[in-house]
Amino acid sequence: MQRITIRDARGEDLRESARLVVRMKRLNEEFDPLYKVVGDVEKRALKYLRESIGSKNTVLIVASRGKRILGLLRAVLEDRVFYEPLMTGTITDLYILPEARRKTMGNDMLQHGIKKLKRMGAEMITAEFPAQNEIAVRFYHKRGFRALVNILAKEEMGQ
Amino acid sequence: MPSKEPGDEYSRKAIRYSAFYGGKIGTAPKVPIRSLDDFSIWYTPGVAAVSRAIAKNRELSFEYTNRWNTIGILTDGTRVLGLGNIGPEGSLPVMEGKALIYKYLGGVDAIPIPIRVDGVEQFVATAKSLEPALGGINLEDIASPKCFEILERLRKEMSIPIWHDDQQGTAGVTLAALYNALELTDRDLRTSKITLFGSGAANIATAKLLIEAGADAGEMILVDSKGVLNAERDDMDQLLLRNRWKYELALKTNEARVKGGLAEALRNADVLIAAATPGPNLIKKQEIARMNKRAVAFLLANPIPEMWPDDAAAAGAEIVATGRSDFPNQVNNSLLFPAAFRGVLDVRAKTITDSMVIAAAQEMAKSAREKGLRKNYIIPDMLDWEVLPRVAAAIGMQAQREGQARKKVSSDVIYKGAKKLIDTSRKISQLLVQRGIIPAPPP
Repeated sequence: MQRITIRDARGEDLRESARLVVRMKRLNEEFDPLYKVVGDVEKRALKYLRESIGSKNTVLIVASRGKRILGLLRAVLEDRVFYEPLMTGTITDLYILPEARRKTMGNDMLQHGIKKLKRMGAEMITAEFPAQNEIAVRFYHKRGFRALVNILAKEEMGQ
Repeated sequence: MPSKEPGDEYSRKAIRYSAFYGGKIGTAPKVPIRSLDDFSIWYTPGVAAVSRAIAKNRELSFEYTNRWNTIGILTDGTRVLGLGNIGPEGSLPVMEGKALIYKYLGGVDAIPIPIRVDGVEQFVATAKSLEPALGGINLEDIASPKCFEILERLRKEMSIPIWHDDQQGTAGVTLAALYNALELTDRDLRTSKITLFGSGAANIATAKLLIEAGADAGEMILVDSKGVLNAERDDMDQLLLRNRWKYELALKTNEARVKGGLAEALRNADVLIAAATPGPNLIKKQEIARMNKRAVAFLLANPIPEMWPDDAAAAGAEIVATGRSDFPNQVNNSLLFPAAFRGVLDVRAKTITDSMVIAAAQEMAKSAREKGLRKNYIIPDMLDWEVLPRVAAAIGMQAQREGQARKKVSSDVIYKGAKKLIDTSRKISQLLVQRGIIPAPPP
């Protein structure tokens, strides 16, 4: 079996990587109705990744075995303006295909991503995911992350 | 070949008789009451000494009371056989029927306990609160997938055997039949390619038990309403959150990553175990024809199998089994659950493990083998009474080997004790009818 490589995403990875993004957004949908996935999610996922590859402030890495993409991490470097440390690397997407889970790939991708973000100037790392995603909460807690900010939501459509 | 259910006549009788008898079971004394004075022994003041002894040593409740022979049949009525979610009261007649079978075939005193609970936590808390009164719990007719979590939790958190008949019962009896079907077709469980059609409680439990018994998970394929289960399926994350038992099987099984539907899953399969939805046209002849030569097909949906057995045979299945008594090879839980509980109660077991279920299945299969296997006889039928104490002894011995029994008993003692209890139970029932204490049913 071919080795798994963790590396920067390339143009030819986009189509398959988009599938992982769609899977992840659909997983988020399970946690809260305010994460209801839009109808043209596939098209948007492709655009999202294409823009990420082209952005200087964004990290997009994949775990691949040959041509097959097994995992994806996207993070953005952000200026916190008022607070120190000033620069944070925010992980917006981390998704591993079910078949590739439980093999330290999530951890390997996270460490790879953190290293890259630090090189770009990040002094702290945050991760965003739905509040109800206990699996993600456990994953990050286990690696020394703690809750930093609460985002409370209230739907106002049609009211 | 029968093609229609004789349901209407049974339904009419069931309503009339249920009203006439006011239910199917009751309690009866098991000690002599020679005079009212005896109540001073059985009740106050004498009983206080017994209570004090048990208060000092809880384990004595298995010796000084009927706890050793008492189980609760617990249900929330969310998935009653063929009826769906009809609530706890609606499930009561079914639980009474189950209790009747427990008594008649296993000599087990089973109490129907439908409970009004909301969700897994309440169910688990309620079941745990009943532990002091019971020697075991039979979970019944609980919707999937919460039934998996309830069984898993109660097995972990209680010190009495917990049995969910829709899982262990069906899986155990299926394994028993499969052992013999494989023997007749010169196969080995470890190398057979098995396709399971339907991924409800029964087949998920069956897949897990088969793997535990040595089947090759990688060669196994499960099919549900969305098609072949595989690790790449789009709904994997939904399964992870909603049905992690199915998720685990999706990761473990189908190494070849077969995709598609039943037709693809049956290509070159040795065995089909269907526990999907009632047929008879759910499986097509062409699909069975894709299986390997000398195929084995278990068509277990009730009341109508996924396809008629003669159609399966015509399409190439050498051994066919169903869940019905009017066809040969009935894969019937009723031969397993009374015997299983008879065995675990007789050794005061603390749990029922998968390997105990496998031991029971092996004994059941052996019992049929000794009578002479034939295409139409791969598993004991309801008239093979001797299988019940044999299975009881097998599971009781396995409990002791695994250190899960409170009592050390030899196989012979369990067998003879179980046989006596079962025989006595039947005799009492017959005697009460003969003496007119249980009146004949109304015309």
